[in-house]
Amino acid sequence: MKRLTAALLITTLMPLPLLAATPEGVVANYANIAEAKFQDSLTTAQALKVAVDALVANPSDETLQAARTAWLAARVPYQQTEAYRFGNAAVDDWEGKVNAWPLDEGLIDYVEGAEVGGENPLATANVIANPKLTIAGAEVDASAITPELLGGTLQEADGIESNVATGYHAIEFLLWGQDLNGTGPGAGARPASDFVQGDACTGGNCDRRVAYLVAATDLLITDLEEMVAAWGADGVARAAVTTDPKAGLTAMLTGMGSLSYGELAGERIKLGLMLNDPEEEHDCFSDNTHNSHYYDGVGIQGVYLGSYTRIDGSVVSGESLAELVAAKDAALDTQLKAELDASVAALGAIKTAAEEGFAYDQMLATGDAKGEALIMGAVDALVTQTKSIERAVVALELDAIAVEGSDSLDNPNAVFQ
Amino acid sequence: MRLMLGFCFALATPAAADVADALNTVILPGYAGFATATAALDQAAQADCAPEGLQDEWNAAFDAWMRVGFLRLGPGEGEGRNLAIAFWPDPKGLGAKAQAGMLKSGEIPAEFGEVSVAARGLFGLERLLYPQDAIFKAEAACRLIRATTADLARMAAELSAEWPPYAARMQAPGAVGETEFLTEAEVKRALLTALVTGVEFQKDSRLGRPLGDFDRPRPERAEARASGRSARNVDLSLRALRDLTAALAPEAAVTLAALDKAIATAEGLDDPVFAGVAEPGSRLKVEILQQQVTAAKDAMMAELVPALGVGTGFNAADGD
Repeated sequence: MKRLTAALLITTLMPLPLLAATPEGVVANYANIAEAKFQDSLTTAQALKVAVDALVANPSDETLQAARTAWLAARVPYQQTEAYRFGNAAVDDWEGKVNAWPLDEGLIDYVEGAEVGGENPLATANVIANPKLTIAGAEVDASAITPELLGGTLQEADGIESNVATGYHAIEFLLWGQDLNGTGPGAGARPASDFVQGDACTGGNCDRRVAYLVAATDLLITDLEEMVAAWGADGVARAAVTTDPKAGLTAMLTGMGSLSYGELAGERIKLGLMLNDPEEEHDCFSDNTHNSHYYDGVGIQGVYLGSYTRIDGSVVSGESLAELVAAKDAALDTQLKAELDASVAALGAIKTAAEEGFAYDQMLATGDAKGEALIMGAVDALVTQTKSIERAVVALELDAIAVEGSDSLDNPNAVFQ
Repeated sequence: MRLMLGFCFALATPAAADVADALNTVILPGYAGFATATAALDQAAQADCAPEGLQDEWNAAFDAWMRVGFLRLGPGEGEGRNLAIAFWPDPKGLGAKAQAGMLKSGEIPAEFGEVSVAARGLFGLERLLYPQDAIFKAEAACRLIRATTADLARMAAELSAEWPPYAARMQAPGAVGETEFLTEAEVKRALLTALVTGVEFQKDSRLGRPLGDFDRPRPERAEARASGRSARNVDLSLRALRDLTAALAPEAAVTLAALDKAIATAEGLDDPVFAGVAEPGSRLKVEILQQQVTAAKDAMMAELVPALGVGTGFNAADGD
């Protein structure tokens, strides 16, 4: 009896790296990493706010550049959170507020060459220039540009998804402006004078543009605070994965697979190439798409390996999905690890090429074989790893019935009536 | 003893026969039919590009595509062919803009397969054969029609040629060098995923887009309105989905009955472009059809998952 107690105590108190990973331990680490990623996203958004305030107080090339640099830094942790979408309802229901894309930016500010040709009558509404708008037949008072106006009225106005009024891409558009270079070199080139009050204002309505930028940045911070709390000790997102570890594991793999395949390989990467459309790049105003894709890939890999490197260089890690899969099927684990390495490398090749001057939108040009090869290399790697992610779902016996979670499966009679 | 052995083998392989049935009686003939129909369309267009004279052939090609267009796996995913053959929805009107650009300049790329997927295929042709805007009747329209039909027929011929070897791979899972299908379960998973995704597309896109919200119906968002094919596309797609289900799992009586019910409703709708979604009475009929399609999907999950012994995998529509 004594012996047993001693043994139990050791098990409880001592870290024992040789113990096998458990679903409980894996989902707890997954939630810890989520909290760290969203906290880093919040921290970098707060730094963006400081830079925006400096820009607004003293618009100059330097303060505008500093705000742009802060925005780029804020994207690094945020993009790594995207692997938490799809599987987690709390993230999925929320993310449109901060990262909705693609957008009809003519809703927000002046643009060139926009025409109402598609389904969106607000594609050229330009709220910065127009204090009164008509949305779905109703007049809207937009005289005060506030977070409430952006988030409550303009975001997805008239039920149209491309009416994106909030989040990273709205701020990106305000800091960079339209990229008018098509598939040629160069990003958006908004002048700092677009934020100058008084006669030196360019682009018109600088007071409203400043109000918009400040409101959108404040709202981004509020929204990120909400998600940090959701993954905190008492948060709903954390509870959803930790109270039912099996559901948590399913969320992890669902996020990895859906982001790899349908979202990243399909919607964001391959579709843009097939449309040869430079606006079909995720960070199209700033020409930062190579980073945005790359850190998505890093985030997917991090979910599997149970590890995240924070913006301060420290590492959050713990029990991993990889260990669980390896215990069931070591060969599959080895293969999936290699495939995740390969997709990060393929996305890294795009990043390197872009940093060396071959921008992502140039890769989308019709008939650009080198760009197509780089982009399709990433698509193929992401599609390939999706197969192994599916196999991991099967290996961990999370298949079918648990994954779908449909009412009809719990109660088959419901659909037979 | 011999008889017993034979019996055992027969028992061990019925599932394989189902996959073979799905491929040989539905999928492969579907792609062959699409190749034939698009070749006929192209032949007619090269002979005479007058839009009205090509509408029958174009409709036949569209009908043929409905047999297989929901299959988001295999050769169609290569080179963006599924996207280029039927690019819809196109909420930003990218296809019309790209075509208008070519028609204004009169410059139609010789390598037409390099042109944006939004400007090609069945929907590119619909805008040219049922012109709703003067630009689509421009002088260059004839050349654009011919370039588009030739490109479409080329893609269809490639699919028809590439599917048989792909189907052979699906029937030999785990063969040396095979990485996509390691087991027969993976083949079934891929087909089940295609079925479920196909039914969801009817519900969410072909029906869901025009339905919009009760307070904000969107009849202008119906698919293929100019040619009046919106409801027909739902009907034909449901039939194709039913045929594939019947081949793959003939015992799935509840699913087949649910699909039959939805097909009957689609047939009797008498609202070819879902214009009725804007009026409460006629809207109800489209809503009922959507509910029946939803019921068919639920039946699939409840019945086909255990019947095939697999769940659904990730699909191309997982993004947002």
